[in-house]
Amino acid sequence: MRTLLDIAGLSVAYGHVTALHELSLAVPEGGIVALLGANGAGKSSLLKAVAGVVRPRGGRVVFDGRDITGAGVPARLAGGLVLVPEGRRILVSLTIEENLLVGAHLRRDPDGVQRDIAAIYDRFPNLGRRRHMAASCLSGGEQQMLAVGRAMIARPRLLMLDEPSLGLSPLFIGHLFALIRELNRDGITILLVEQNTAQALAVAHKAAVLELGRIVMAGDPAQLAGDPRLAEAYLGRAAGEPAALH
Amino acid sequence: MIAQQLVNGLMLGAIYVLVAVSFTLSIGILNFLNFSIPGLFMVGGMVTWILIGKGLHWGLAILGAVAAAGLVALAVERLSYRRSQAREPEVPLVSSLGFLVLLENLALVGAGSDQQAFPALVPDFNLRIGGLVVGGAQLVSLAVALTLVVAISVVLSRTSLGRQVRSIAESRETAVILGIDVGRLVPGIFILSAVFTALGGVLFALNYLQVSPFMGEGVGFKGVAAMILGGMGSIWGAVAGGLLIGLTEVLSITYLGADVVNVTVYGLLLAVMVLRPQGLFGRPPAREKL
Ligand SMILES: Nc1ncnc2c1ncn2[C@@H]1O[C@H](COP(=O)(O)OP(=O)(O)O)[C@@H](O)[C@H]1O
Ligand SMILES: [Mg+2]
Repeated sequence: MRTLLDIAGLSVAYGHVTALHELSLAVPEGGIVALLGANGAGKSSLLKAVAGVVRPRGGRVVFDGRDITGAGVPARLAGGLVLVPEGRRILVSLTIEENLLVGAHLRRDPDGVQRDIAAIYDRFPNLGRRRHMAASCLSGGEQQMLAVGRAMIARPRLLMLDEPSLGLSPLFIGHLFALIRELNRDGITILLVEQNTAQALAVAHKAAVLELGRIVMAGDPAQLAGDPRLAEAYLGRAAGEPAALH
Repeated sequence: MIAQQLVNGLMLGAIYVLVAVSFTLSIGILNFLNFSIPGLFMVGGMVTWILIGKGLHWGLAILGAVAAAGLVALAVERLSYRRSQAREPEVPLVSSLGFLVLLENLALVGAGSDQQAFPALVPDFNLRIGGLVVGGAQLVSLAVALTLVVAISVVLSRTSLGRQVRSIAESRETAVILGIDVGRLVPGIFILSAVFTALGGVLFALNYLQVSPFMGEGVGFKGVAAMILGGMGSIWGAVAGGLLIGLTEVLSITYLGADVVNVTVYGLLLAVMVLRPQGLFGRPPAREKL
């Protein structure tokens, strides 16, 4: 399968804290790649570097055959590289509809935006009913739907989701993973960061486990699911502690 | 004659409105109490006066003064606000106060400390409605202030640009993730706030026919009071606060005498603060700190 996103030797650091060590990862077009790992492993740093929100110290990011390492966030968004950030980051002082419109601010086709907003309300009637209310009125699950809707409005080719199931009820988690499958069937490539290992491995076509800024395991999700080292890496150590020898 | 005093109060209030809106834009969007604003007010009046003195057409002179204020605001953004983003919140406050002192002293060196006579630009016509007399300059002030406030309010609430600015106001980090050009919009807000303030200074000069290096100070304090009275970060709060303070000031000068004016104005502020700490139109703080 063709590679849509190619991350090569990517390093990210904050001051003296190195979050990613020369990490490489390929995301095939049309696939779902799950990225697992404990808190502080560097998952969010990876997504933010790909989205252009943090500047990498080194390495390359190639999207759809183009080197975008130096590109800004708007250029990446316009190309279809869209991040649903950790903690959803809904704008609670804006209405639900305004949140969607902000997600569309780079688009120049108002009619298309209106159509897409209508389609999102069809998909999530709870959002449509309250479109003119402040987004603060939504439950956590509904906010996550709005965050995904806001990303959809930007017409992603690659959708990056950072721990979307965090804090959701089991019912909403079920909805969320069904939605991820659905979006993927519609042709959107997905890079999914999750702590919800079982569900993430169940939807993914490929998985990688991150530990202290490095990929320590990668491959077929079904195989990873049975690997005892997964639980160890996952539940394992907080950032900063030395890695155990395998 | 109370109706006449109401008109005079509204006119004075219109000038406070522009300054209060300027403060509220800065606080509400950037979380920055920009103390250079009284200096920009003075730049509006003084630079217009200087340029007219050099023989420029008054329209060009006003344009030049507004442009000068915009440039100073950009300097405040670069040198005071941006540099101290990562540090303590008091730092930009103090360094913007430094800009005020600098501007006032530059004006002092250039023009002396005296009040300077400002030419009567608005023809001295009076509109008579019943027994009321509304001066030309008063009408211009109200019209300019109202137009600007309605325009900024519509832009903020109904346009894509306004939504982007409000996104920055709520969370700059989120705005960056959404691809909003924070690096361009933040200086834009500084310029916008400078335009409001400088035009306030021009209107002040038009009405009172005088300018001085320290003309921004009293108005600046009242503008801050008006913003707090109306509720920080609320445009219509700043409008209500500005008009209310203008009215209070004129009415208390007329009926209680000039020496008590600050007692009534700041007493009003204090009373509102006690009864309604978030101000008339303010919401209790819920916003993420920027
Ligand atoms: N803004 C930041 N400033 C300093 N250190 C950071 C910042 N963001 C993340 N880190 C550090 O980088 C490492 C990786 O963090 P992160 O990418 O958030 O991991 P994860 O998403 O897997 O929990 C951690 O050690 C974290 O403390
Ligand atoms: Mg994270």
